[in-house]
Amino acid sequence: MTTILQVTGLTKRFAEKTVVDAISFTLEEYTSTALIGPNGAGKTTTLSMLTGLLKPTIGNVELSGVDLRANIGFLPQYPQFHPWLSALEFTEMAARLNGVPSKKAKVDAQKTLEFVGLENALNKKIATFSGGMKQRLGISQAIVHKPKLLLLDEPVSALDPVGRREVLDLLKGLQQETTILYSTHILNDAEEMTDQLLFLRDGKLVEQGTLREVRQRFDEPRYVVEFSTEEEARLFASHSELFGKAQGCYVFVDIQEEEPTMQQLLQQLSACPYNVRKVARQTASLEEIFMKVAKRV
Amino acid sequence: MNGFSVLLQKEFREAWRSWKFLWIPLVFALLGMTDPLTNYYMMDILSAVGNVPEGFEMLMPELGPADLLQASIGQFQTIGLLVLMASFVGTISKERANGMATLMYVRPISFRAYFMSKFVVMSTVGFISIVAGYSASVYYIAVLYGTFEGATLIASIGTYFVWLLFVFAVTLMMSATFTSVVATAGAFVIIFVGQIMVAFVGVFWTVTPWKLPTYGVQLIRGTMEMSDYWWSLAVTLVITIVCMNIGVLTMKKNVAMTKI
Repeated sequence: MTTILQVTGLTKRFAEKTVVDAISFTLEEYTSTALIGPNGAGKTTTLSMLTGLLKPTIGNVELSGVDLRANIGFLPQYPQFHPWLSALEFTEMAARLNGVPSKKAKVDAQKTLEFVGLENALNKKIATFSGGMKQRLGISQAIVHKPKLLLLDEPVSALDPVGRREVLDLLKGLQQETTILYSTHILNDAEEMTDQLLFLRDGKLVEQGTLREVRQRFDEPRYVVEFSTEEEARLFASHSELFGKAQGCYVFVDIQEEEPTMQQLLQQLSACPYNVRKVARQTASLEEIFMKVAKRV
Repeated sequence: MNGFSVLLQKEFREAWRSWKFLWIPLVFALLGMTDPLTNYYMMDILSAVGNVPEGFEMLMPELGPADLLQASIGQFQTIGLLVLMASFVGTISKERANGMATLMYVRPISFRAYFMSKFVVMSTVGFISIVAGYSASVYYIAVLYGTFEGATLIASIGTYFVWLLFVFAVTLMMSATFTSVVATAGAFVIIFVGQIMVAFVGVFWTVTPWKLPTYGVQLIRGTMEMSDYWWSLAVTLVITIVCMNIGVLTMKKNVAMTKI
């Protein structure tokens, strides 16, 4: 794999406040990277610096030897369009401003709008668009010139579940063609299409790695056993030798260094007279990891 | 000037679809016809609406075509400029404030091209407006009072247009440099306070952009001191170009003001 983006010591200070503090990372070609972190962590500021809209106080952004501005596509969190243009006019303008020749720009714009599912609104004025349509248009203007790097700021946060699903599928379709870096705080989405995680907190890059690596670092695996009544759960937790914690109808048993094994748990369960509904091994969801990293001192 | 034609097309579409090419020239045309008509029919208007007592006599000044054209230009200078400046003063600052600029500025556009596309469209609207205003005024003056000589009339329009270019350069420079509110205040102060200053001390301050509208009329009257005229014209063009360059620089410098 080849490195496409190299960020070194990126820092942004506004007056006294350091919003982004010396972050460094690299992006490999054709990977998807999620930039996650609580509100105010500096995600948007970081993306703005990558686009060149904001000058870093210190630090360097390098896009594998080519001009950055000509080779990125950017979708802001709340994209604003010129309302009196049509979707086709806007996308075509976007392509041409990125240097696509005018005839090709028109064809490409049309194809891109079809790809994002706006084929029925090509000539409608953007003023009449719904939020979901604007988001699609936002994606189309970001990808119409086939950028090497696609930067998306909260691409799905403002959408309803249906719109979110559709936009996510769109982005997954793009993974083979370009490198994607997107910020989000909806972690289910990050879980779905991420090769690398960058965790930002208070402007610092506090956690970094593939989903699997981060998981391993923060995972606290456990079993969850569901009983039919709370009474049974409490009794099992207090009587078994496995030190489970009862919570409602559930008992949670922590796993430390692969102990106890599933077999041991099942033996215990079969020995007791209670009605077991479900037994499962749980790994921490990204949300739990998020909470841990966000709160870690 | 990367992307100039594309940006120009965008600005034209905006001005066209927001009817700026229609309503601003219409305002100028209306302003242009007001003075010749009201002055000519002043006695009729007074006797129709006023309670003029029996036997009241009033001496109306003898106005020539040039006086009426000067009156019309006076209208363009206040209401006309107000309309033109107010409709364009936000063209850069507002795009930044509402985030529309983001999707433009992330692309490899040249800020000179972007600034110039706005300037060209504003100038075109301005040109059509003064042609409409002058035409309306001159038409009624010709019908009611008397005609002008073609060449000096065109020179007068041309002079006024150079003044407008100066106004537009100041307006866009302000828009590029400041937020909408400050830009509006700043541009209005420069243009209108300048006019007031020239009205007070214009006798001594002869080489200045603010004098050009007056000089346009003096060309028609044939009372123009030509060296003052040429110097003013040159100074105005130089200041206009300087303002445009400052505008391009501040537009680029203020990219970080864009709402993302």
